[in-house]
Amino acid sequence: MPHSAIVILFLISLALVTSLEPWFQSWQGNRAQSADLLAVLLGDARRAFANHFFIKADAYFHSGYYPSIFDNRTAFQTPHMAADAGALEEKNTGEEDDFLGPPRDWIDAFGRRFKPASHTHLDHGGAHSHTHSHGNGQPHTHGPAAKEIELGESQDVREILPWLRASAALDPQKVETYTTTAYWLRQRMGKTTEAEAFLRDGLRANPDSYEILFELGRIADEHRKDPARARNLWELALAKWQKFELPKKDPDTFSLLQIASHLALLAERESRWDECLHYLGLWKAASPKPDEIEKRITEVRQKIPTANQAKRPAPNPKP
Amino acid sequence: MRAVFTLAHLVIIEMVRRKDIYVLFVLTALLTLIAAAANIFDDTRVVRYLKEISLTLIWVSGFVLAVTSAARQIPAEREARTLFTMLAKPVSRWQFIAGKFLGCWLACGLALLVFYAFFGAVALSRERSLDLAGWAQAISMHWFMLAVPVALALAGSLLWAAPSSNSTLTLVACFGIWLLGRHLHKVALGLPEPGATLLTLVYFTIPHLELFDIRDLIIHRWPPVPWVFWLGALLYAAAYAGMILTGAWLMFRRRPLN
Amino acid sequence: MSEVIQIEQLVVTYRDAEKRATRTAVDRLTFTVRMGEVFGFLGPNGAGKTSTMNVLLGFTHAAGGSARIFGVDVRQPIARQRIGYLPEMTYYYKFLTAEELLRAYGRIFGLDDGEIRRRTDELLALVELEPARRRLIRTYSKGMQQRLGLAQALLNQPDLLILDEPTSGLDPLGRMKVREIILRQKAAGKTVFFSSHELGEVESVCDRVAILHRGELKALGPVAEIKRPDDGNLEQAFLRLIGWPGAPKPTSDAGLADHRPTAP
Repeated sequence: MPHSAIVILFLISLALVTSLEPWFQSWQGNRAQSADLLAVLLGDARRAFANHFFIKADAYFHSGYYPSIFDNRTAFQTPHMAADAGALEEKNTGEEDDFLGPPRDWIDAFGRRFKPASHTHLDHGGAHSHTHSHGNGQPHTHGPAAKEIELGESQDVREILPWLRASAALDPQKVETYTTTAYWLRQRMGKTTEAEAFLRDGLRANPDSYEILFELGRIADEHRKDPARARNLWELALAKWQKFELPKKDPDTFSLLQIASHLALLAERESRWDECLHYLGLWKAASPKPDEIEKRITEVRQKIPTANQAKRPAPNPKP
Repeated sequence: MRAVFTLAHLVIIEMVRRKDIYVLFVLTALLTLIAAAANIFDDTRVVRYLKEISLTLIWVSGFVLAVTSAARQIPAEREARTLFTMLAKPVSRWQFIAGKFLGCWLACGLALLVFYAFFGAVALSRERSLDLAGWAQAISMHWFMLAVPVALALAGSLLWAAPSSNSTLTLVACFGIWLLGRHLHKVALGLPEPGATLLTLVYFTIPHLELFDIRDLIIHRWPPVPWVFWLGALLYAAAYAGMILTGAWLMFRRRPLN
Repeated sequence: MSEVIQIEQLVVTYRDAEKRATRTAVDRLTFTVRMGEVFGFLGPNGAGKTSTMNVLLGFTHAAGGSARIFGVDVRQPIARQRIGYLPEMTYYYKFLTAEELLRAYGRIFGLDDGEIRRRTDELLALVELEPARRRLIRTYSKGMQQRLGLAQALLNQPDLLILDEPTSGLDPLGRMKVREIILRQKAAGKTVFFSSHELGEVESVCDRVAILHRGELKALGPVAEIKRPDDGNLEQAFLRLIGWPGAPKPTSDAGLADHRPTAP
């Protein structure tokens, strides 16, 4: 008898759920935004976790030698893995080799023996990139990966990927996660297809992201050898930038610099001089070294074969 | 010393038969294997995140095992009245404390061997090599470090009657020291008085358990700690555990048992 | 040495839970227990029997006076080398088997492995626990645990057996077993010191008894000397000595002389 009651109750519950669910979904008061488990479990805290994992990836990039929140972080404001990837503009200052400063007491001095103690990057071998010298005094590294380490092409950089993946899962709107990951995947790991797929995931979550479009363009240009596709992607990126960044008081000139420079170089390669000059103008406007870009403009003008060189003034991206 | 070793043996038998160690190990192994099943861009050689997850779980499990087992020893014996039967034998109070400590500590050591063997298997499965010196240093330092929470929990069981409150307080203290201990002096220098002095006092008084956390060296394959510093760390842990146990004995030696 | 237990001017006090007032549980108690005798330690609840035993076993420290076992101060663990103790509540490590428990206790007494094995076999047979020797103690009934208690108390062939209400909760067969063991110890020249509320049994086995009331010694000596002609049995003598209102009134001072403390 008790078992029958339980079964009947279960069936009633099931019937109620199936009949009420459609009504709930169409109800005006339904505020459920996401069916994503992580979003439901963590709420806005997921962004904090995503940021933590992004920083964790940079800590891995440094093989554990990384400042805590109590240390001097001025040399690590922009994660080095992202800066090296071109995903973020580097704003680091100060000493990256000695963020801990001198030991404050004997416990601090003793404790440093049990932690990583030097600044290294994983693409240069990480802990194995410790140079050492034998009798001849020439610093060098050993092992089959030594050549890769010297060229900065060590595949150990793969170790940052799990944390970047976790960061992207937790905060799909964090664009630099996709661009940083894609760079290391394609440049160091030779995984162009995976990089492209990951960027497309990012683009689905951030359809107006000019950074992701730019990075997709780099894949098209550098790996797929498809300049037409690259140009389309970069032009779309530029359009998105102009739509969303131009109206801002402080637009993202770093990204404009990247997009404009690549468009300019591609146009130069393809001898599309008018476009090249146009993009060089944009590049000059965003560059911290406009004189050098001006020199480049002059060189390009000298290359133009016809007498009709339209000198179109570059639009000023700043309001 | 026979009494000490016999008591230690009894503690180990109890812990093995209680199955606490198995539960923690299964949890650690399960979570590590779930993490290992994740597809990281079809790259099967990614291993450091696994090592970190595994080692972090081992550290958490180590603390939980050490504290909960030690916190339970004396109150459980008092409640079960086995304390009286034991102390009616030619066993002194210090032998009782020493035997309980040794048993809990050795049991933690056995558990760590199992945990670190699993860690070694995880690392070997992807790296195809194991830094034996680093691995040995990690186990030995972790084991010696656990002597301090064991001693703390044993001493705490003489101050707080309920094992649950003792366990909670000791675990909070241990996790706090592990995560924040090395930064306290830095923070103190930025505080106004009297906070700065108080925090500095705390910094120089607490046992710095974080010194024994060489996970970063193991995960990122840094060279092992110089052996003289390794030895210094072990002696540091032994000294702190010894001081705390002496305090526990002083509390216990004249305490009426009924 | 003919005196196994020597208690002189023993004072045991307790603080209440709030650590304010001090209660005197034992007040200048003096008596001895001689070798080879069966000594009964009697008194109503709260008389100070347990407190005295706790001092003898090292569970509590005396506030004054002294206590010695075989001439050794009871505060020294070595004083307990030659004693066997059976507590009133018999609880043992439930995660062990009977065999493992006796082996552990044997090691603490410093017995070698061969001796431990031999004694374990003998004692488990004596207390009829041989079939259950490899079962965990948590599976034992109360009676089995009490028999195990007897076995562990006899493990080191003690010269002094201290029993705290050994027949409490036992069935008649169990009580008979305990009585047999007490008499066997006596026949072997050992000393037995026990507290009990079963005055009939005390009367039948004890050579001497001490009666305590409110921390003070009221009577000490052979049962026959403590009883007066108008005391039908030890129970009536007991009630008289502790001043029970319904007890028969004393007609003489006989039986009170033994406990008077001699001059130091």
